[in-house]
Formats: sequence, structure tokens, C-alpha cells
Amino acid sequence: MSKEQDSRLAERNIPGMMNRRDRFAEPEHADNIGATVRRIAVYFVKEKKLVAGMLAVVLSGTVCGILAPSLQSGAVDIIAGEKQGILSHTLTLMLSVYLLYSICGLLQGLCSTRLSQNVVKRMREELFGKIVELPVHYLDTHSHGDVMSRMTNDIENISTTVSQSLPSLFSGVLTVIGTMAVMLWYCWQLALLSFVTVLLTFLATKILSGKVRRFSRKRQQLLGQLNGTVEEMVAGYRTVVAYNHQDITAADFGATADSLTKAGIKTDVFSGVMGPVMNCIGNIGFVIIAVFGGYFSMNGLISVGVISAFIVYAKQFSRPINEIAQIYGQLQTAVAGAERVFAMLDEETEDKSGVTLETGEKAAVTFQNVCFSYEAETPVIRNFTLTVPNGRKVALVGATGSGKTTIVNLLMRFYDIESGEIRINGQDIRDVSRESLRRNIAIVLQDTVLFSDTVRNNLKYGNDSAAEEQLVAAVEMSQCRDMIGLLPQGYDTVLTGSGANISQGQRQLLAIARAFVADPKILILDEATSNVDTRTEKAIQDAMHSIMQGRTSIVIAHRLSTIRDSDLIVVMERGEIAESGSHEELLAKKGRYYELYMTQYAGFAT
Amino acid sequence: MWKYIKKYLFFAIVAGLFMTGEVMMDLLQPGFMSRIVDDGVLGVNNGGSADLHLIWMLGLQMIGLVLLGGLCGSLNNVFVHISSQNIGNEIRKDCFRRIMDFSFQQIDRFGTGSLVTRVTNDITQVQNFVSLFIRGLIRTTLLTFGSMYCMFRLNFGFGLIVLCAFPFLVGIIGFCLWRANPLFSRLQAYLDAINEIMQEDVSGIRIMKACVRETYEKMRFGKANDDLVRTQLKTLVIFAFMNPLTNAVMYMAVAAVLLAGSFSAADGSTTPGNVMAALTYTTQLLNGILMLVMLFQNISRGLTSWKRVKEVLESVPELKDGSFDGSAQTQGEIEFRDVSFAYPGSARNVLSHINLKIHRGETVAVIGATGCGKTTLAGLMMRFYDADSGAVLVDGIDVREYRQRALREKIAITMQKSELFGVTVGENIAWGLPGADSMLLASAASIAQADSFISSLGNGYDTMVAERGMSLSGGQKQRISVARAVLKPAEIFIFDDSTSALDLKTEADLYRALKESRPDSTKIIIAQRIASVRTADRIIVLENGGILACGTHEELVETCRAYQDIWHSQMGEEAKGA
Repeated sequence: MSKEQDSRLAERNIPGMMNRRDRFAEPEHADNIGATVRRIAVYFVKEKKLVAGMLAVVLSGTVCGILAPSLQSGAVDIIAGEKQGILSHTLTLMLSVYLLYSICGLLQGLCSTRLSQNVVKRMREELFGKIVELPVHYLDTHSHGDVMSRMTNDIENISTTVSQSLPSLFSGVLTVIGTMAVMLWYCWQLALLSFVTVLLTFLATKILSGKVRRFSRKRQQLLGQLNGTVEEMVAGYRTVVAYNHQDITAADFGATADSLTKAGIKTDVFSGVMGPVMNCIGNIGFVIIAVFGGYFSMNGLISVGVISAFIVYAKQFSRPINEIAQIYGQLQTAVAGAERVFAMLDEETEDKSGVTLETGEKAAVTFQNVCFSYEAETPVIRNFTLTVPNGRKVALVGATGSGKTTIVNLLMRFYDIESGEIRINGQDIRDVSRESLRRNIAIVLQDTVLFSDTVRNNLKYGNDSAAEEQLVAAVEMSQCRDMIGLLPQGYDTVLTGSGANISQGQRQLLAIARAFVADPKILILDEATSNVDTRTEKAIQDAMHSIMQGRTSIVIAHRLSTIRDSDLIVVMERGEIAESGSHEELLAKKGRYYELYMTQYAGFAT
Repeated sequence: MWKYIKKYLFFAIVAGLFMTGEVMMDLLQPGFMSRIVDDGVLGVNNGGSADLHLIWMLGLQMIGLVLLGGLCGSLNNVFVHISSQNIGNEIRKDCFRRIMDFSFQQIDRFGTGSLVTRVTNDITQVQNFVSLFIRGLIRTTLLTFGSMYCMFRLNFGFGLIVLCAFPFLVGIIGFCLWRANPLFSRLQAYLDAINEIMQEDVSGIRIMKACVRETYEKMRFGKANDDLVRTQLKTLVIFAFMNPLTNAVMYMAVAAVLLAGSFSAADGSTTPGNVMAALTYTTQLLNGILMLVMLFQNISRGLTSWKRVKEVLESVPELKDGSFDGSAQTQGEIEFRDVSFAYPGSARNVLSHINLKIHRGETVAVIGATGCGKTTLAGLMMRFYDADSGAVLVDGIDVREYRQRALREKIAITMQKSELFGVTVGENIAWGLPGADSMLLASAASIAQADSFISSLGNGYDTMVAERGMSLSGGQKQRISVARAVLKPAEIFIFDDSTSALDLKTEADLYRALKESRPDSTKIIIAQRIASVRTADRIIVLENGGILACGTHEELVETCRAYQDIWHSQMGEEAKGA
């Protein structure tokens, strides 16, 4: 899925492709346009030279665009014999103005390209830098898809809009004003008559866009419904088939598809009719110029060449007017996107200050009356007190939502506790810098995270300065020597992003090896529950066992086999410690642990 | 594709005709204008005296043409959308229908996400492609070649000039695309790379922070970003050249037409009006070519989508339907005869040489470690997959001889992962028996021990199940899917690990109620907990794809080593003493 989404994102971003938005698509609205626009401007101010150059080029291009048709008109007049002059001179002049116009266009394109890419690059880097510095809390509470889309769509949108739509708006406005002025200067009567088309354009747009909006909202809603149906039915395909529901499902789908088609036809008929209507209005302008121009030139008010110039001018000024509504929508969307990006840039980053954690040879962890909640008034951890002596192994068990994982979040300072304290060797972890704290703790998580890099770099992820011998020893200890040996380039094999080239179990082994290389005093293991074959399973358990030797370990247990020999098993329930003790003690007690054991853990794997 | 177009061909042709009409009107206008100038204003054919009446007449005719053109254009638009959207709709419905007939292997091969995109986005692209083809391609082609023809008719020389400009334009555009094309795939690769880094860091934020690698990641991203921006810049620069260059060619053509016009006008072979008309045609023609290029880019995208849609449409359902309608003498009997099965693409047999006979009304439990083939066993009975060797018989008939629907009528199954749909709780249960009344629903729900909690929901049975049951707990979801199965008037029930989230008492109540209300049905319970299966008539212990032992709980506790191990581990010390 994600691959497909990526490629769709990419498709939208490939420059030079037709990626204009639907002219009637509803623009998004920004809340604070002024401030956002000023902030966007800051990025462009840093590219002063480029911006100035581009504006100059746009200006001269527009002047050429306005000048050229009048030269063309002069040429026609000479041909028609209405004016004296040497045709070749006028033509040469005309051609050079036209060429200058093209050159300006080229320069404008080059400037805007460079400008947009410079800005995109800077914004992307800033945003990414922000993301990695943000507290975990931010990414936990925001949808990842949303964060990704700010990075890709919003930023791209801002830069293309500012570097392409803005110059075309600028040159559009200049062209309209300039063209109108020249037209009025040539013959104000004919000019005013030509402007009738502008009025018609506005009217047509207004009438049609209202209708289109209404239908397109309906269509959008149906489209969402349709996508939802497909997703649900394909994902729940087994049940559909098992209950012979194919026909009913297909009929439902058909009904939604039919109403979508109806709404779609209505929307597109109204929005598509805009093309012919604009064309028609343009042609009306053409007729007006031909007829009245003819009439005026008969009366000697204008020359024949002026008619020819008017035809070009009329085209020139109607184009920007047609586009202005569209550009305005684009600008609004871009500003809304910028607002989202800036909102993220304004998030507070993790505090980096603090003293160094003094560990030495030993590391004992104590939790003292710790309370914590993710959302106010729903406490997740209540009055949690626990001591993990140096080199001992403590297992946390409990149902989903009992707060096991939260303990990890608190110890790593992914989140900060509300009250109470957590101490390592007596030092309050809130006084310690996050960097120093985290360097002393290694975590192995349930969902194995590996990066699309070589095996070697992945192993060294927690300890950049690890020597080759350390790697080899870690690999040996975590039972992944054979597996790495089988990879095509051994340690230099690049793992693909989704880890397609190694199995889930092998990924877990690598994650354990990574923790070995980091060689921390404190270890947090979140046991993996995914299905792996029996041999790998055994390897993983052995590896976990050996990495815990001599380290202060906290294990979040999902199966019993690894924790039976724990020094202490802590049963958590709704954020509190329900009971604790060794495996035997707790079973004998026939309390919570016994119950949990019976309902949740009693499985073959143990 | 043709199959779909055929049905709406009439609309498409009508749309094309209207388009032709619109283009004709566009092409006629410059001619009228040239007459206004020549005959009306300059009086070229009238000894130089202007004719106001003629100007008005021609003007009125032009207005008529313009309105006619606008009408044609609008009608074209209507017909284009009627045909393209209906074609898209037919394809979409067929696709969905086809997916519903897929085998599990096929679904797995395409992947859920990919199927969803194909049915939604790709078909929309195809639909756009059709409308673009009828509207855009016809219009620009006609306009381009029509203008060319008109130029030649006006004056042979004008036509030649434009003809000469033609190869330059095609050359420029072709060159730009040729240069840019290899960049596109690189651009794509860099974009993927940057997205991947983002994805990794966002989802692996904890590991990244735990290893204190913020700076390293920034550098990694910076490098990928540089690569991307550099390539993007190259691509954009190529395209920055395209428009100004083609424009320049166009202006040169305009100048050449003027120059040629002056010579021709001097020797009387053309008129100033014609020169002006020629200028209009020139711009029309060259704009048309530019539009064509843009269209081709979109068309190639549409074709790619069509290819993806076609893959779905042309996939032949892999499981061949049998003809047996299911009316057998016996009822509720299942037999595995030396069945072996491996998942496609895997060398390892999930099940090997399974021999098993289950009788009517029997309760048979299957127990074994994850991955030992329990779920596969159920899948073979439902014919979700076909056995590689051996045969699965239901009521004495090979499942491959059944019509798939008839077979699945006989069996009610609840899946390991409770699959609920975004309708009400009641409607979810009613999947078991469409049209069942509320009495039936409630009785099924009470067998599944779900009645009381459903009644306590906000709207009882009318409560909506949001996002595939996110609002419900695991045990609630399981009970709703059990109710759905119980409602189905089936001979055989299969519960695939579907009561694992219930506490032992509720689970026991559920199975007791089931036994009382459906005494004649065969029940197959797949489970991990011995407590769930203790009371079954027979318990089958699966290990590594084979049947290790089979017997009652009491027998197995005595005889089967593996079963004893499970029993001990689950019962703890207490069992050892017992």
C-alpha cells in the first residue's frame, strides 16, 4: 500500500506534468493569512537576487508582450497600404521584440525553477530537522500520514505556487492593465466594447461555480463512501466469501457506483461546460472586434492593422482574467499548507539540557510514586513504585492498556512523569540530559525498526564508534552470524526499507544484536509476539536471554517462557501494581497473575 | 476496453460530432473576418468603397456561428461525460465483481492496498483518459489540421511556411521530452528514497531517539534531499526551455507570414484580410500542437492505469467451480483423505498427509501451536484454497465438485481475526441470514453470549460499528462474529480461535448454549487453551502439519506427551498434582 501511495505522491510532484487543480475545486482556507504570508516571504527574501531578477524579467517580458502586437499591427497596415513605412524594418523590430519576449519567458522559467527548488530544499530540511527533534509525544498524537503529507505535498505546493503562480499573477495583472491601456489609447470605443467579454466571463464563472460546488461536494462524499466500501470488502474478503455475500456486496457497491456516476456527470457537465463557454465568449469578443473594428476603420477612426492588434490584445487580456480565479484558489491552498508547515515548525522541541548520567559499573533503577497520564484526568500510571536492582531482571505483565509500555516511555523520557520520581543510581532522570540518559539504555521493541542502510550501519546505530570485533561478538551472541553470512554482501548488504530481504524473525535478531553493540547498562525488551518459525523463535529467546546477562533489564512480557526466571514479576492493572513476586510465588497465590496466566498466556508457545 | 466503449459508443460518436461542429465554427471565423476587412472595410473587390451593410451582415452571421459553436461545445461536453463516466462505472463494477470471485491466492498476490487503488484511482484515471481522448484529442487534432488546411486554402505560401515551422516544433518538444524522460525515473527513485527516510524516522522515532541519532538522520536526509533537488532542478530547466523555444518558432512563423503576405499583396495574389486570417490560423495551429503534447503526457498516464485495471479484469478466477448443488444424503460430515498443502511460493508443507473423519453432530477440537496448520485446515474445508494432494470431502462429496456457494452454504465460520463491517451491529449479525428478524438476531446473539452487552450499547442492535470494530473490545467483536455464524443455518460450524478473548466462564457458557440449540450440527473448535476444548468429543493435536494424536481430553492426558506438556503449562503446578 505504502509503495503505491508513494508513487502516487510522486506522480503529483513530477514537475512539468499537467498538475493543475480542478478550476472549481474548493480551495482550503488559512486562518491567519497575513502572518503566514509574511513568514513565507522571509524564505523568499533570503533569495533576494533571484526574486529581484525574476521580477525584472517578468516586467520586461510583459512590456514586450504588449509592445509586439502593435508592431504587428503596423506591419499589417503597411501591407494594407494604410500606412507608409518599410515593412522589413517593422518586421525585424517585431521579430526582435517577440524573441526578447521568449527570452524573458525562458529566464523567468529558469529563475522560478531555481527559486522554488532552493526554497523547497530549505523548508524540507528545516521541517525534517524539526521532526527528529520533536518529542515522541508529537508523533504519537498526530497521524503519520498527515506529517508525511506536510513534508511532501504542502511544501511542494508552497514553492510551486509562489514561484509559478505568483509570477503569472504578477505578469497577468501587468498584462491586463498594460493591454487595456494600449487598447484604450488606440481606440477607446472599441476597447470598451471588447471589455464586455470580461463582464460575460465573470458572470459565467459565478453562475457555474455555485452549481459545481454543490455537486462536487456530493461527489466527494460518494467517492469517500465508495473507497470505504472497496477497502472494507477487500480487507474482509474471507468473511464476504464465507457468507456467500458476494452478490449483495457487489449490488451495494453497484448502487454507490451508480450514484457516484450520476453526481460525477452532473459535476463535470457543469464544470466542463466552462471550456466551451469561455471559447464562445472569446469568439464573441472576436466578432465584436471584427464588426465594430471594421465599422470604425471605415469611418477612419482606426486603421486595419489596429483590428489585427486588437485581436491579439483581446486574447492577451482575457487569458489572465480566466486564470485569476484559479490562481487565487491555488494561493489560498498554498497558504493553508504553509500554515500547517509553520504550525509544525513552531512546535517545541525536546529540551537538550541536563547533566551527564553517572553510571560507572552499576545501574539501579527506582520508580518512586510515579504518576502519569497522556490525557488529563485519565491516569495511565498511578503511584507506581518499583526498584530494579543492578543486574537484575524485572518482568512487567498485564493486559493491553495496563501501562506496561508507558513505563518504557517514562524511563526513556519520551514522556515526562507528572509526579513522583524516577532515579538511576540515585540520580533523578529529569536532571539528566536526554542524550546521556538514552545512551545508557538500549531498547528492543516489538515492532522491529531497521533502517534502509547496510547491516553494518544498522548494527552500529546505537554505537557509532563500535569496532569490528565488537560487531562480530554481538552478532555471535545474538545468533545472527549464520544469517548474515547468507546475505549476498554479508555486513554490507543494504536492507530494503520494508525489510523484504530478511524475515521478521531475522529482523528481531538484528535488533537484539544492535542492542548488544550499544552495550548499555540498562536494557528494555518489549517481547515480540509475531509468528516466527520455531527455530528462529528459539534463537530469539536464546539471544534475549544472553543479552540480559549482567544487565539491569526490564522486560515487557507477552509470553511466559522468557520471564519465568525473572527476579521479579510485576503484574500491572490499570496503571497500578496489582501484585509482584517470583513466578512460583505468584502462581501459588492464585491471584491476578494466576488468572492472567490462565486466560492470556496459556498457549502452546510456553 | 472496446467491450465497454461499445456500449456507449453512440454517445461517444455523438460527442465527437459535436466536437467537430465546434471546431468547424472556430475554423470558419477567421475567414469571415478576412471578408469583413477586405470587402467591408477596404472594399478590395469593390473598387475600394467600404460596405457597412456587408459588415453588419457578416457580423450577424458570425454571432450565429459563435453561438452555434458554443452550443456544440456544450453538448459535446455533456455527451463526453455521459459516455466516459458510464464507461468508468461499468469498468468499476466489473472490477469489483471480478475481485469478489478471486481466490485467496489472487487477493494475496495483488494485495489489498493495490486492489483498492486499482478500483478507485486507476479507474478514475481511465475515465479521465476516455474523456480527454474524446474531447481533447479530437479537438486539438481537428483544430491543428483544420487550421493547416485553411492556411493552404488562403494562400499556398502561407501553408508552406507553417508546414516548415512544424518539424521545428516537433523537434523541440521531442528533444525536451527525450532529455527529460530518463530523469523522470531517477526523480521517482529519489522521491521514494526521501519518503522512505521520512517513513522510517517517523515510525521508528523511538529507536532513533533511544540511539541518539538525530544529527545522523538529519545528515542522511540532507543528502537524499540534495539528490532530489538537483535532479528536479535539471528536469525543470529542460521544461523551462520548452515553452519559450516553441513560442519563438511561432513568432518567426508569424513574421514570415507577414513578409510573404506583403509580397503576395503587392502582386495581388492575396489581400490584407487574408494575411490577418492567416495570422489567426498560425497561432491556433501552433497552440494546438502544444496542447497535443500536454495531452500525450496525460494519455500515457491513463494507459498505465488501464494496464493495471486490465490485470484485474483479465484475471481468471483460479478456483474452478463444480456443479454439485449440495443436496447430499448425509449431512454435516467432513473427511480429509491424505491431504497435503503448501501455501503458494512456499516449499514447506503446512499440512501433510492429513487423514481425518468428522461425523454429524460431533464436536471436534483442534489444538496446536501457532503456525501448525489449524487455520489452514479450516480454509481447506471452506475451499478457500485447494489441497495440493489428497481430497477434502464434505458430506461425502469432494469439495472441488461443489458449486462454491453450495459448499459455503453448509458451513458457518468465524475467523481468527473478527471481521466486522461498517454497518450496525444487527446488520453485521444478519450477514449470517439476510433478512433475519430481530427475534432471530437476539436469539443468535444470546447463544453467543452477546445479547446483554449489545443491549447495553447506545443504540442496541442499531449501534454503528465504527472503523472495523475499533469501538468494540476484542471479546465483543468475537462474540458478534460468533453470533453471525450461529445465525447461519449451517450444518457445520467452524470457530477458528474465535473465543480466545473471552473469559473462561463466558466461553464455557457459549459452547454449552451452542450445543443445546444446535445439537445436530457438526462443530469444529480451533483453540489454544485446553480449557476451551476440554469438553469436546474428540481433540486433535496438530504438530508441524500432521495429526499427532486424537482422542478425548481424558485419553490424551493419559497417552499424549505433547498434550500433557500443554496441559501442565496451562494448568501450572496444580495440574501436576492432579
